[in-house]
Amino acid sequence: MANVIIAAYNLKKYFPVGGFLFSSKQTIKAVDDVSIKIKENEVVGLVGETGCGKTTLGKLLIRLIEPTAGEIFFDVPEEIIVEYEEALKNKDTKKIEKISKRYSFLNKKGGELRRMRRYMNIVFQDPYSSLNPRMLVKDIIAEPIISTGYASKKEAEELVFKLLEEVGLTPEFAFRYPHELSGGQRQRVALARGISTLPKFLVLDEPTSALDVSIQAQILNLINEIRKKYSITILFISHNISVVHYMSDRIAVMYAGKIVEEGYKNSIIFDPKHPYSKALISSIPRPEPMREKIIINLQGEIPNLINPPKGCRFHPRCPVAFEECGWTADEVFQDIEYIIMRRYAEQFNGIKRIYIEDDFTISVEYEGKNLIEEKLKEVLNKEKQELRSLISIKNIKSESTKIKIELYKFVEPEMYKSKDGINVRCLLYREKK
Amino acid sequence: MSEILTINNLKVWFHTRRGTFKALNGVNLNLRKGEVLGLAGESGSGKSTLGLSIMALLPSNAIIVRGSKIILKNRDYLKYFELFPEEKIDRKFKIKKNQKIMKHIRDFLAKIRGKEVSMVFQEPMTALNPLLQIGYQITEALLAHSSINLAKRILSRINLTEDDVREILKIVKSSKNVEKDLNEFSKLKKLDGIEDQVLYILNRKDLSTIRKERMIYSLKEKMKNPLTMSYLKKIAENKSIGIYRFLNRIPILKRYLKGVLIKEGYRKAIELLAMLNIPHAEKVVYMYPHELSGGMRQRVSIAIALANNPDIIILDEPTSALDVIVQYQILQLISELKYKLNISFIFISHDLSVLAEVCDRIAIMYGGRIVEIGPIDKIFYESLHPYTKGLLRAIPKISKDIKTIESIPGTVPDMRNPPNGCMFHPRCPYVMDVCRNKVPKSIEYSKDHFVECFLYGE
Ligand SMILES: Nc1ncnc2c1ncn2[C@@H]1O[C@H](COP(=O)(O)OP(=O)(O)OP(=O)(O)O)[C@@H](O)[C@H]1O
Ligand SMILES: Nc1ncnc2c1ncn2[C@@H]1O[C@H](COP(=O)(O)OP(=O)(O)OP(=O)(O)O)[C@@H](O)[C@H]1O
Ligand code: SF4
Ligand SMILES: [Mg+2]
Ligand SMILES: [Mg+2]
Repeated sequence: MANVIIAAYNLKKYFPVGGFLFSSKQTIKAVDDVSIKIKENEVVGLVGETGCGKTTLGKLLIRLIEPTAGEIFFDVPEEIIVEYEEALKNKDTKKIEKISKRYSFLNKKGGELRRMRRYMNIVFQDPYSSLNPRMLVKDIIAEPIISTGYASKKEAEELVFKLLEEVGLTPEFAFRYPHELSGGQRQRVALARGISTLPKFLVLDEPTSALDVSIQAQILNLINEIRKKYSITILFISHNISVVHYMSDRIAVMYAGKIVEEGYKNSIIFDPKHPYSKALISSIPRPEPMREKIIINLQGEIPNLINPPKGCRFHPRCPVAFEECGWTADEVFQDIEYIIMRRYAEQFNGIKRIYIEDDFTISVEYEGKNLIEEKLKEVLNKEKQELRSLISIKNIKSESTKIKIELYKFVEPEMYKSKDGINVRCLLYREKK
Repeated sequence: MSEILTINNLKVWFHTRRGTFKALNGVNLNLRKGEVLGLAGESGSGKSTLGLSIMALLPSNAIIVRGSKIILKNRDYLKYFELFPEEKIDRKFKIKKNQKIMKHIRDFLAKIRGKEVSMVFQEPMTALNPLLQIGYQITEALLAHSSINLAKRILSRINLTEDDVREILKIVKSSKNVEKDLNEFSKLKKLDGIEDQVLYILNRKDLSTIRKERMIYSLKEKMKNPLTMSYLKKIAENKSIGIYRFLNRIPILKRYLKGVLIKEGYRKAIELLAMLNIPHAEKVVYMYPHELSGGMRQRVSIAIALANNPDIIILDEPTSALDVIVQYQILQLISELKYKLNISFIFISHDLSVLAEVCDRIAIMYGGRIVEIGPIDKIFYESLHPYTKGLLRAIPKISKDIKTIESIPGTVPDMRNPPNGCMFHPRCPYVMDVCRNKVPKSIEYSKDHFVECFLYGE
């Protein structure tokens, strides 16, 4: 059986953020409970919102940064992975621990870790900041070869010229500094560095976004060639979905620190399931000026990774969100308060106070006549179109001098399997019981 | 349309120990008011160099060759400098003297940089200072040219009454031309600066009408202490601040007073970032560049470029680090700015699909020259130059049975010894004898559509 190159479970990476003047205990949940598996020789594409955690995930997988929580296996026989997943499902903690102890990539330390590093590498998003400006190209490329002990200094020298040729640069480039290269040339250097130790696993973070399309085509074809020649498994991160589609076997879509959809590339591109993927794929720019566009325009705030939305993280922007998607009293309260105290203030002058009773109840205290309940129902119903949070209201009922607004309880979406075998994190794909 | 920028025969070379790189070899280009001009082409063809030349931000080993002209709003700014003629740029070339000239040019344009022209750099990380907070970097840009506006904004919020807010909301709800009416309203009520803040709220794409109204209500602010108030007034009136000049000598006081403006700068920075769809902008202003994702950094540099409402904005690969949804929103924003503020853009990108979404005209660069330029539909549907045709074929298209993407065989020319004749001839499938010996001249093939290639013309 083939080895699984990367298997990660419930990975989390929380970055602490400082406030102004005072330091707070808030964290940015850049990667939150992500599981991903990549088999030998597979290319998995990773797309998603800017700032949703793709680079962070890539860095976690090769341990450039340490996860806050979670488990990673690197290059482990498939049967071990099957066993581990079985144990996870059965919550067999003893077995989980046993497998982790023996195989976990997170347990590797010191010399062993350093030797393992030659089998993995990353090509960074931004070839400008990732290439050390004070080093010659030849030293940049040789650096991982020497630091991982893949070859001696002298051998490294020779390898560098072979690598330059491999990425289509003349030997003369070895003696240049990064600032003397164009964007495309830098990207080639970064790629040469990435493959310098013949890694088994390579994270390519936007490897071609700095290249013009004709060179992009050359580099993509080059990556494919090299990958087949040396059996390299790849995680391919890019915003260019056409490129990701061209390069990958499977595609994962990420949103606000979570993978929301994952599966065979053609299913994802031609028949996306998750409402976010649908919007994303509808916005792909096409080389046809003045075409008719059908773009799903997303409303609503970009998710805040410090306090991510509850339930489904996409619910505040989701065009098809429904009652159970994640609304809480906080969200609904802000909208109701504004409606009552500002927008329709003249109609609700009997209302004294609005407050959150618990996570799913909002109370409105009033004095005087009882007509308020009817009016409130009417207004809230009318505003539902625009304030989507109001769809989560389950019922509104009077109790002596207050009105209780009760909300539906939300459900945390898990990964569900759609009919064509795609994993989707959206309640619309929940199995009906 | 009137021209805001004209470039004639621009030659920019780079002097290095290993030879002289001829990055730009006679670029002719004009930018019209309120247009988006796309610039695509080979990497290494000189697109960034062209942008940096307009900004007068070339590195010190760059040489602008005599005869080059950059005419910005009818001022030929290179004419004041004694540039080296082409034949003098050889072994005995006087590097030091050239560096001096380049520095003079840089300093000469410092006053208008950021205000009349600004640029979003290809490498956002080098454009941002790693040691300063994001908000501070945007504030610095604002303080350089727009202190008056900052002071006016604060005062307008303090002077705002409940009645004013109601009136503003009325305009917002019922006016046909909200922008014009708000402008008039703020003039009439002497609330200069409020219209800017209200419009920002209205233009946000991510908020519902009701949330927007709520934000407008909360604009109103309390009076500040008398010293601050009079300081702000003086700044807003742009008066020389006699007594304050004296006060300014007391460091604590100076810091205190300037602090008020800096705080407002942060507030404006949050608005700019939110306009560009950055999440939790009120936190991001206190963060440092390395704490942001690639796309966030890119948007921060766009925010800095937008800060002072310049006439020309040069965008060097501004959206290549963004997801397609944010990208689409930024492209929309560019179109909006173009119409509303009549700003002109030079949009450098490798992604022809992105250019297809925003540009009015497209210029294609190869080997330091513009080999084809024309209206967008002409470039996409009736392209002429063999290089342009190759580029269009190399765009990966999504299809179920794609096997390989076509690329243009061959490599980028070595710009120290660029090929004779047409720069593209070593890679051109249609190469003829004449192409190897003579440089093709630009001809107007159809209205406003120019090409440099011997296949066309007689
Ligand atoms: N060192 C850090 N300290 C604090 N926050 C960080 C750090 N690195 C990343 N973040 C935050 O984590 C989130 C995810 O960042 P990441 O770079 O992984 O995004 P991304 O998906 O790669 O985005 P892009 O497509 O823009 O490159 C962002 O909100 C970012 O601000
Ligand atoms: N400071 C410098 N010293 C020497 N050569 C330079 C310098 N800056 C740029 N060059 C060279 O000038 C040429 C043009 O570079 P430029 O960065 O303008 O290309 P570009 O079209 O922006 O490319 P890309 O699309 O890859 O960003 C390249 O051949 C590059 O190697
Ligand atoms: S669970 Fe599905 S329907 Fe509900 S908000 Fe999330 S994406 Fe939309
Ligand atoms: Mg990234
Ligand atoms: Mg460039």
